[in-house]
Amino acid sequence: MMRRSHAVKIFGAALLALLFGCSAVSQTPSVPPKHPEDLPPGRVDCLECHKDVSTGALKPYATVRHSRVFINSHGTYARQGQNLCSSCHKPEFCQTCHAGREELKPNVKMGDRPDRMAPHRGDYLITHRIDGRIDPGSCFRCHGNKNDARCKQCHK
Amino acid sequence: MDLRRIFWENKVIPNTILGVRMGRPTTVESSGKRLLPAVVAITLLLPLLFAGTALAADLSLSSKTYGLLYQRELAGGQKDRYAPLYEYLSTDVANLGGKPLSFHFNGWGRVDLDKDSGSGSTSGDVGSLYLEYLHPEGNAQAKLGRFFLTEGAAMEIIDGAFVKTTTPVGLGVSLYGGTPVEYSILNGSQRGSSLYGGRVFFAKAGFTEIGASYLKENGSFQGRDRELYGGDLWLRVAGPVEFTGQAMYNESMKEMASQRYAVRIVPGSTFDISAGYESYTYKGLFQTALTPQFVSPSVDNNDKVRTIFGIVDWAFVPGWTLEVAAKHIRHDNSDPGDAKRGEVGVRYSYNDKKDVAGLSAAFVTADQAENEYREYRGFASYSPSKLRVTLDALTQRYKEEIYGKKNAYQVVGTVGYQVLAALQLSGNVTYTQSPNFQEDWAGLVRLAYDLGISTGGKK
Repeated sequence: MMRRSHAVKIFGAALLALLFGCSAVSQTPSVPPKHPEDLPPGRVDCLECHKDVSTGALKPYATVRHSRVFINSHGTYARQGQNLCSSCHKPEFCQTCHAGREELKPNVKMGDRPDRMAPHRGDYLITHRIDGRIDPGSCFRCHGNKNDARCKQCHK
Repeated sequence: MDLRRIFWENKVIPNTILGVRMGRPTTVESSGKRLLPAVVAITLLLPLLFAGTALAADLSLSSKTYGLLYQRELAGGQKDRYAPLYEYLSTDVANLGGKPLSFHFNGWGRVDLDKDSGSGSTSGDVGSLYLEYLHPEGNAQAKLGRFFLTEGAAMEIIDGAFVKTTTPVGLGVSLYGGTPVEYSILNGSQRGSSLYGGRVFFAKAGFTEIGASYLKENGSFQGRDRELYGGDLWLRVAGPVEFTGQAMYNESMKEMASQRYAVRIVPGSTFDISAGYESYTYKGLFQTALTPQFVSPSVDNNDKVRTIFGIVDWAFVPGWTLEVAAKHIRHDNSDPGDAKRGEVGVRYSYNDKKDVAGLSAAFVTADQAENEYREYRGFASYSPSKLRVTLDALTQRYKEEIYGKKNAYQVVGTVGYQVLAALQLSGNVTYTQSPNFQEDWAGLVRLAYDLGISTGGKK
């Protein structure tokens, strides 16, 4: 326990040293807090206007092209930073699905947007029993310790 | 007696809906009641709060009201009607006082106009409520309040603070700490009392970002705190080829919690392909479960999942996109056993991308017949001028009967009208037939109001 406590302190000190030792923040312009132009309806393709690498997110715009591949793995990119996401998406966009407490399914709220990827379509009370058995990790990320308003109706 | 199977099969809920089974709420806690007045008050008072800086601020306000109407038949033949009214509010105020400072809020509240539809006759939640400072350079930022955080090993909602910066040489650091926003319905468990952590990383524009992270949550999860070490990598190997990796080690359980590695090729704006490997252990990943379905005896926590997956997204003709996905899920335990899921779909966008139509089919094959099903879906939208009409139809075919049925159907039809530039009124009618529902009709009215006082876009 003592060794771990020391390790945490050393880790913290190293972080502070890194932060203040290098002192100056990178001169690279940040991603703007809000996309400067209105966004068109539907699924936006950044590559229609942007080329090469985002100066703020430091990744090519092709990487964040909103294809099915990106949507399925967006969490991997979001764990390295949310700034590029939040330039175009309000916090409520993420929390349509990643909510602390929620009673309405995403596809109910977005019933007029069948083009959107929204989990739990149909009578998911039935289908979740199968999906939950074969891949419970996919459920846990949102329903493990939050967003459980519907879970608790049966799982007690 | 196989307790796990009973939990998963919900045999403990024999109540019915329109003559068949339905899991109506029975004993649920009402923990959001106190939040509703706060949600309403915050939103109504917000313009006053920022009145002094209103000229400089960039304000956007969004309100979405959902009125639902449905009926449920309970065991014994009693019919109850439900009419919950939901209000979702969000406000974003940027450029406060002409500084790179912004305020964000979103939350919701429910009032039942008929029978209680959930945890009491009212409910609600504050999703986020925070101040953010975004430095004009180096993506340096700070957040204070309640926010959704994804950073290395963390994917949390916390009441706390977050800071992040990148130095000129590409080294960066982030730190966060606060109280986790979690909910427990597992007897004997409480949510974590505090959570903190950080991430150090190195990023070189267009080439790589590699990070190492640490997270500690104090609490009693399976009798222990949660302590995670994480690693993440994005690497542009060559041209359009990139590699991503993400791994988390659960120090508390001495288990690798999860790993995900993928190769992705994105040669341009029309083709995207990815393949990879993912694995997780129940013991490592589910340690912080506060809902019983993720802990023994619902599941055997010694199980481990290894998945191989592949996805293709190909815009083969302008407007037309082909999507193909497959994954092979392997379990260490024979129950639930292995499964394969294949999916193919085509989407067509038209009317200047305002509308999309799509067809898809998915097939799940498994070691156990009870885990097998097929799913077919078709949808389309049509938005001439101010009118918007959508139709979405889905059917699922289970290999084994569930409550005496092998098929489920759902059709959702919507009609909407743009009353004003910032105001849209729309309504859904949903028809469902499934093992739960002999026949179910549900209605929803949606009123969406979006106001922004400056140009620029957010979704």
